[in-house]
Amino acid sequence: MSDDRPTPEPAPTQPESTLAFNEDWAATVLGLVLLALVLLGVIPTGLVP
Amino acid sequence: MTADATRPADPGATRPADPDVTTPTTAPETTAPETGLPTTAKTGRGVRDGAFWAWTAVGLVVVFALAALTRYLEQGVPEWFAGTSVEDLAAAVEYPVYAILLGLLGNVVVTVTGIRDRIAAAFRTEFFIKTGLVLLGASINLSVIVSAAGPAIAQAILLISAVFLFTWWLAGRFGLDDRLRALLASAVSICGVSAAIAAAGAVRARREQLAYTASLVILFALPSIFVLPWLAGVFGLSPAVAGAWIGGNIDTTAAVTAAGALAGEETLQIASIVKVTQNALMGVVAVALTAYFAYKVDRTAGSARPGAGELWRRFPKFVLGFIAASVIATIYLRNAGSDGRAVIGVVNDLRTWFLILAFVSIGLEFRVSSLREAGWRPIAVFASATVFNLVVALALASLLFRDFAG
Repeated sequence: MSDDRPTPEPAPTQPESTLAFNEDWAATVLGLVLLALVLLGVIPTGLVP
Repeated sequence: MTADATRPADPGATRPADPDVTTPTTAPETTAPETGLPTTAKTGRGVRDGAFWAWTAVGLVVVFALAALTRYLEQGVPEWFAGTSVEDLAAAVEYPVYAILLGLLGNVVVTVTGIRDRIAAAFRTEFFIKTGLVLLGASINLSVIVSAAGPAIAQAILLISAVFLFTWWLAGRFGLDDRLRALLASAVSICGVSAAIAAAGAVRARREQLAYTASLVILFALPSIFVLPWLAGVFGLSPAVAGAWIGGNIDTTAAVTAAGALAGEETLQIASIVKVTQNALMGVVAVALTAYFAYKVDRTAGSARPGAGELWRRFPKFVLGFIAASVIATIYLRNAGSDGRAVIGVVNDLRTWFLILAFVSIGLEFRVSSLREAGWRPIAVFASATVFNLVVALALASLLFRDFAG
């Protein structure tokens, strides 16, 4: 890919990191779902190596 | 030090290309180290296409394969060397060591083969560690969190204030750019890479500044993982004090967990609670930085004053998952019969897997090139701030957790 324009000032980071905060929720949901699956017996003892 | 890293920032300006700034101009696959997303020189924004997802899938295979190898070594090595002269050593080496070493080894391999940047989006240290911490909450009785909350909050407020202000002042003495000062101070005082990401958003730091702040965090965190548990033993610290020291001192949450795991289960629990508390205060610092830069540094006319909504938006939500898991598991264990402990053991196995994935990712993410661009001044500031943090955190942990009984 080429760029004919002058190289601009390096891009500042976004005012907020949407990805980081989505990751927060994703980690929370995944962790709690896995906990629920274990407590409900869907993931039984001995299945996780 | 590149000129770029210390030059007062002028975010609205355009200027001729700076040879010291390695802004990619040709490769759409190049990744931003702080997010793992590919970037372009034109936009700096992520580009996701079929090739991106295919390479990310390859990266996930690499991460999971190294994690599986870690688990295999962790369980196999003590058995293989049982009855030999190195039996004790083989049993003492735990999964964080294998995971980080294999991650670094994998880093060399994928760098040499030229696929590192393409697969980097799979190195999701933050996501893996946060999921692991939510699962860790299930192994901590709610009463321990409640008992530790008071001293943990007191330590976090005092430590973050002292270390942030010291680093900010020292970086100013070294003539660093205000944005880089904010990143370094946040990273050292709060929680490493995630604090640096939050601070970078708050002060609109440049990607290069964030990249080498993240590299500095990992550079200093790696030896800390091994040195701090060892020093805690040398100093004869109790598990609670050792945990509070490790949690208050090591910058990045993943490294805190690794060091805590090496030191023991009780140390790991206290270290995690202290670190999670610091994580929770990240939002406060980010909002304060946003306000400071809006009104003092950038002086943007008409900037909106950050309010409670902003505080919530910047709050690390996984802290809620950590507490919720502890509440759920505490209630479950109270009502479950004798099988309850075995069931929670499965959760602990899952937690170990996510921590291994995070530690492998730490090794894979490490970049020497970012440090070369940084020069010696940010490294000197970071090293001095780390020593300051070590001493103040030890004093506070010894004072606040001296009589702790979870």
